[in-house]
Amino acid sequence: MSVGAGLAFVILGLSVIAAALAARRARLWRAGQPAKIDWVAGLLAVPKRYLVDVHHVVGRDPSAARMHALAAGGLLGGSGLALLAGLTGSRLVWAATALLFALALAGGLLVGGRRYPRKPARLSGGKFQLLPFALVAYGAGALLVALDAALGHALAPLGWIGLVLAAPGGGWLAFQIGRGPMRHAFAGALHLAAHPRPARFDGVSETALVPLDLGAPRLGVATPADFAWNRLLGFDACIQCGRCETACPAFAAGQPLNPKRLIQDLATAMQPGASNKAYTGSPYPNARPVAGIGGPDLPIVGAGAMIHPDTLWSCTTCRACVEECPMMIEHVDAIMDLRRFQTQELGALPEKAGRPLAELRYADEPGGRALAARTDFAAGLDLPRLREGGHADILLWLGEGAYDLRHGRTLRALVALLKRAGVDFAVLGEEERDCGDLARRLGDEDGFQRLARANVATLARRSFGRILTADPHALHALRNEYRAFGGDYEVIHHSALLDELVAAGRLPVGALAEARVTYHDPCYLGRYNGEIDAPRRLLDRLGVARVEMERSGRRSMCCGGGGGAPVSDIEGDARIPDLRMGQAKATGAGIVAVACPQCSAMLEGVTGERPAVHDLAELVLMAVEAAPVAEAAR
Amino acid sequence: MKIVVLFSAGRHPASGAPCPVPVELQALRLARDLAGADEVIGLHAGPVDGAPLDALGHGLGRLIHLRMAQGDDPLPALAQVLEELAPDLILAGRIGQGGEDGGLLPYALARRLGRPILADAASLGAGDDGTLTVEQALPRGARRRVVLRLPALLTVHPAAAPALPFTFAAARRGTVERRDIAPAPAAASEMEERAYRPRPKLIARAAPGASAAERLKAATQAASSGGRLLVDPAPEEAAREILAHLRGIGVLRRRG
Ligand code: SF4
Ligand code: SF4
Repeated sequence: MSVGAGLAFVILGLSVIAAALAARRARLWRAGQPAKIDWVAGLLAVPKRYLVDVHHVVGRDPSAARMHALAAGGLLGGSGLALLAGLTGSRLVWAATALLFALALAGGLLVGGRRYPRKPARLSGGKFQLLPFALVAYGAGALLVALDAALGHALAPLGWIGLVLAAPGGGWLAFQIGRGPMRHAFAGALHLAAHPRPARFDGVSETALVPLDLGAPRLGVATPADFAWNRLLGFDACIQCGRCETACPAFAAGQPLNPKRLIQDLATAMQPGASNKAYTGSPYPNARPVAGIGGPDLPIVGAGAMIHPDTLWSCTTCRACVEECPMMIEHVDAIMDLRRFQTQELGALPEKAGRPLAELRYADEPGGRALAARTDFAAGLDLPRLREGGHADILLWLGEGAYDLRHGRTLRALVALLKRAGVDFAVLGEEERDCGDLARRLGDEDGFQRLARANVATLARRSFGRILTADPHALHALRNEYRAFGGDYEVIHHSALLDELVAAGRLPVGALAEARVTYHDPCYLGRYNGEIDAPRRLLDRLGVARVEMERSGRRSMCCGGGGGAPVSDIEGDARIPDLRMGQAKATGAGIVAVACPQCSAMLEGVTGERPAVHDLAELVLMAVEAAPVAEAAR
Repeated sequence: MKIVVLFSAGRHPASGAPCPVPVELQALRLARDLAGADEVIGLHAGPVDGAPLDALGHGLGRLIHLRMAQGDDPLPALAQVLEELAPDLILAGRIGQGGEDGGLLPYALARRLGRPILADAASLGAGDDGTLTVEQALPRGARRRVVLRLPALLTVHPAAAPALPFTFAAARRGTVERRDIAPAPAAASEMEERAYRPRPKLIARAAPGASAAERLKAATQAASSGGRLLVDPAPEEAAREILAHLRGIGVLRRRG
């Protein structure tokens, strides 16, 4: 037998072993719940999803992208060709094989270069640290074999040495398919085909939470077996790259949350007799002690289980982790499923979150205030009401922020601008209930659905063109999450409307005194709804020098105000808004422009010397007031 | 230990919607913490069960609803059912919220049942052989520990541990038992209506022109000082002192 055929046999054997290990792992997913999956479309779309969507994320770190393309492409391509070459014995095919293995070797060396001499904190250790050795051994060994075969065994002894090198290297890799670093390869590919949110690959903002069936015997997720099976598959796709960890604001603030560890805990928990001891990445900061044991039918959350409740409640649902994940894992969905069980089944909420949820239940307003008081901010401004059967071009949705003095100033500015531009608008007044965002993010799905239905019914009795809001959380709920309850509206954020009005010349603007402005993207506007351009266009129209923060646009950092995090109030080392304000300060801007009541509340709460916080509406009003008198009077 | 918690038909102070009374939910939590969820029964007498039904979501496993006409006196029905249930402990809120709640019902009930009543419990602990240790909330955050022999009736103070959050699944699991109650016209009210009379205000005043800090000091210190402490006085002497004090601060008119 020639050495080339030997390599082909080794590869064949290892493929069989890898397939068997993969199948064994896949059996674990069968514990999960059934899911509706369009297999044909999913499988056909895998190449596009991989080459376009995954690459879009991976490509943000060009050196990692290069490394992965070489290692994965070389490994898979080389191994495939080697089988073909072994079959045909063609020297030309062996030459091509050698080329691919050379690429694989280069990739393996890059993997090593990234991890040695010092491993970056976001990467996992343990078996992951052995990965480059296996890759190099397999790549280099197979390269020798292929070269030898291509040259008609001119390198005879070297070829055999190569085989001796390639076999253990490849063997190690094959054995990592089940529980080790190589699991991501097959689970990741399948995950792309069977992704729970396939629309996200079609350029749609697929971010609305899926309504919970309140008639189901168990609400939310208690054990791994309660997840849909393709969610379990998604957890297994994690390659522990730690990109989510670096993006997570709660992690940065030292709260006990690390999305990477969370996904690993979930992936581990689905194994019978699971223990979290094997994890080698960075821990949850200030981790609360847990038993660290699990299994397909054992609870996931609790001090006696895998994940401490504080971990769950630290999340601001900002989706930064989802945005960064090259394996397209949906962390927030998992966290929300777990929260729903805690809230709806156990009533195990953070102490301070019970009160607002109770007020929402009994007064439709988390502060327990009268709904009629929502328009108090507009005292002295004539605020038109949209009564039953009435019509307005624009329905202004005031949101929870209307009760807040600070955001009230923003809303006053917005109302003044609408009047100046001659927009036909009206508010619901005491008929506007809370949109339910807080209830939903705290896992109170029943509360959210009740509010959603009530608001949809109120809106159905009125006629309007578009809904305008200055609250991205309300925007997301009304635009994306009410659809499941029969509410299909065109919802526009005030940044987009003001941009329209200024562009159309209906709001003549002058120059602002403070020239340097940096814009903080609200998560629920930017990442959730993809609206990152209109606010920037608007600022540019005001003639300010716009500077960008270290993290902006879709990769912006959360202010800490979402997901009910302010009421959950999980202790960390720092406050998220302080970190974000630090980034704003570093730009040298005099003003942080915000576009969300939560952001303005969180950032205004930062003490010490810092840029001023102004909502876009306030800035536009300032600019309008600074416009030359003749123009403004026109 | 068997505990019955009384629930009234509360309304939310801002929205007016039916809403369990927070302090009654706190009573429920005290009861659960003391005896375990299975030993606690909720009891409500009234025409509809709207607000008390929500107590199921806040941790009540079983509610008995005594259905009666609007305006009927709930006292006889409650007393009858409580005699039948014979709980070791009856808990009520210190005052309801939203209806014509005067906070008197627990006292009337205690008299009717011949049970001792203790007001304003903030926390409960099981004592030895049929006793209960109660921490009673006093004004300005003070606490007093009282040991009490069961059976008894307690009212609960808002300083008790916060209520359990509403849990959808718990509301779904909880059971309600409805009993129709024979009409019992409300007893003639002993209350009378009078025109409003301005009362003297007991606000201490600092010297005119004093700083804000001084005014604050005067206002806060006056509340905690003044008066004299008499230990074991003779009743006549005590009465004389009280009258003198009331005249001194203008509550009673000075004898002409
Ligand atoms: S969840 Fe995604 S981003 Fe986070 S470590 Fe795993 S693969 Fe990387
Ligand atoms: S959603 Fe935001 S806060 Fe939550 S885990 Fe992801 S990055 Fe962290």
